[in-house]
Amino acid sequence: MPTPKAPSLATLTHLSNALSAFRLTTPTPTTSTLTTIRHASHQAQGRANGAKDGAGKRLGAKKTGGEYVIPGNILFKQRGTHWFPGDNCFMGRDHTIHAGLPGYVRYYRDPLRHPKRKYIGIVFEKEQVLPQPPHAARRRMLGMLAYQAPTPPTPEPTSPSSIPSSKARDANSVTLPPTKRNPTGLHLELSQGYQYRQTNFEIGLSGDRKEEHALLRGKTTRAFADYKKGDRFAAWRKRALRVARGRERGVMGRGGKKGGKKATN
Amino acid sequence: MIAPKRLSRSLQSVTQCTNHERQNFLQSTRRTLSSTIHVNASVESASTTSSQPPPPPASPVRLEDASSLNPENVFTRREERKLVRTQKINPVSSRRRRAALQSTDSVPFEQLPYQCFQEARKILIADRAEKIKQIEAQRERIARLKENGNMNETAKKQKLDSMNRHLAELKIWADINDPIVKKTFEDGKGDLNKPIYRFLADRKWRSYARKLLVQRITQMNVIPDILPHISDFPTASVDLSFARHDVQPGAFVLSEISEKYCKLNVQVYDKGERMVTIVVVNPDVPNVEKDGFDYRCHFLAANVPVNPTSGSIPFSFLRSLDSEGGQDGQVETPQIILPYLPSYAQKGAPYQRMTVFVLQQPEGVTLDVADIATRAKRESFILRSFIDRHRLTPIGVNMWRTKWDESTAGVMERAGIEGSDVEFKRKKIEPLPYKKLDGERYR
Repeated sequence: MPTPKAPSLATLTHLSNALSAFRLTTPTPTTSTLTTIRHASHQAQGRANGAKDGAGKRLGAKKTGGEYVIPGNILFKQRGTHWFPGDNCFMGRDHTIHAGLPGYVRYYRDPLRHPKRKYIGIVFEKEQVLPQPPHAARRRMLGMLAYQAPTPPTPEPTSPSSIPSSKARDANSVTLPPTKRNPTGLHLELSQGYQYRQTNFEIGLSGDRKEEHALLRGKTTRAFADYKKGDRFAAWRKRALRVARGRERGVMGRGGKKGGKKATN
Repeated sequence: MIAPKRLSRSLQSVTQCTNHERQNFLQSTRRTLSSTIHVNASVESASTTSSQPPPPPASPVRLEDASSLNPENVFTRREERKLVRTQKINPVSSRRRRAALQSTDSVPFEQLPYQCFQEARKILIADRAEKIKQIEAQRERIARLKENGNMNETAKKQKLDSMNRHLAELKIWADINDPIVKKTFEDGKGDLNKPIYRFLADRKWRSYARKLLVQRITQMNVIPDILPHISDFPTASVDLSFARHDVQPGAFVLSEISEKYCKLNVQVYDKGERMVTIVVVNPDVPNVEKDGFDYRCHFLAANVPVNPTSGSIPFSFLRSLDSEGGQDGQVETPQIILPYLPSYAQKGAPYQRMTVFVLQQPEGVTLDVADIATRAKRESFILRSFIDRHRLTPIGVNMWRTKWDESTAGVMERAGIEGSDVEFKRKKIEPLPYKKLDGERYR
């Protein structure tokens, strides 16, 4: 048997190249021939993706102290609240302070209101000063005028035999005459969603009222009024009725903790 | 060898538990917090069948006699319904509590057999005895000081005041740790003639309701528009209601609701009866000529007696100037100076605050209602001057707000007030002259 010879370098490289397709990772070279040089960088160079200084937003005071303003005039534009709205002023959504009433602008501090804040307010006369004295009644302006409202047209009288006009439907409540089903009549109130309905209070009392009405005529609405103690058959029928009703209510989603079955898709 | 001791009872009787002979289906170990013994009512077994069985054989069912149902003891839904139907009264307290009362041994609270609790009770009882002794001693000291003639009058008065204050404190400290006092107060049964219950009621009021009221009063600027800021104001709680509508401070009330049956419930937290004056002021009456607001008095009454146990003041029950003499030929002082005027606000006007002030008259002073009525006027009524003139002390306040609604016109007409067809609109303000600057600004 001839002694096995070690493979030559050429064979090995050829083999390595052929097998490179199956390799998962590339073999790391034992030596690196490149050397990198990095120079120090300092702040004067700036940042590549930093925020640039934008155009000026013209913030600041737009009306000086003592100037006459009308409601809505902008008094001060700011980012955040350097100044707070004081008497008769209001603040917009971007903290812009506007005048609320016509008058003269005043810039002031009110330590009793807040020890550190600065306020912008409006006074009605040139001589008035802010802040107002602490226990005095506030100075207020009505800013309104009184007008005579036009008298509404008088409703035309309806004859008793006429068909009820559409105006009857605009009433807040309607009373229906007694029927066999509702022997005490129905009183419907106009409620949410423009529907005429019995109030819940009335619905709750309706059972009692029907029973009272029936009793007056010598009858009763109770299903088992003549139940006798010890009649187990009648008791079973009563219980069966109640259970059936309860099941019905459960199916409809009323009663019980979880409610009824949900509708299948 | 020792013979085994013969059992005195048979094995069967030993294994049978004699304490739980009656089978309660509610096994609760909670105790009642009551000092009265409750009689265990009989228990009915509840039917828990979910399916429908065939009619059962006849068996004797023990049914409760309707008149024997006790509203403090019923706890099954069937018995509750029967109670409401037959006796027309509702059961007391919660069903869980009523059920627990049946199945627990009723031990008075003070005798609960917990060692730590009883030891704590001993300490509290000893503390209370100590406080009682201190109260006696303080009372003697006060009596001796009163008899002392050698002291400067002002110094004596000052010392008496501080000694009385300390005595009041001691009275509170004696009872404040008593759990029965706490329970009685929380049940609403505390006698407000006693200082401890007044103290607890005052503390409860100040913990929330008073804070809410003060917030409303300050945020809506009732203080300082009508009265300046006064320290520790209010000291009495004033509940406001119209017929059966209770009004939260600052709430909007419809004109037709505030038209009639205004009622105050004044609760004072210090001892003694006093006379109060009631004023209802509206500080937001629009005045177009002066472009501002006026004050109007909607109600003014004086000489109304109020004490810690009675403070309900319906306006319709107060005596007016032209009312008939009292019972038994007594001449009773009239109370109403300006009768109640319903609150109203014209359409378009901002909402108007209606403030109720309760002002305490000086000790023993009865205001001359007839005399004041000759001078009092509704329009331009300044409460500050009124208080200064008659030396009143504001003790209570409440308020509601009113604005125009559909019923206001009707209310104004019924009260004979003109102007139900007046509408307020904002003044048109001319824009300021705007000078367009030169072209350079508008590049």
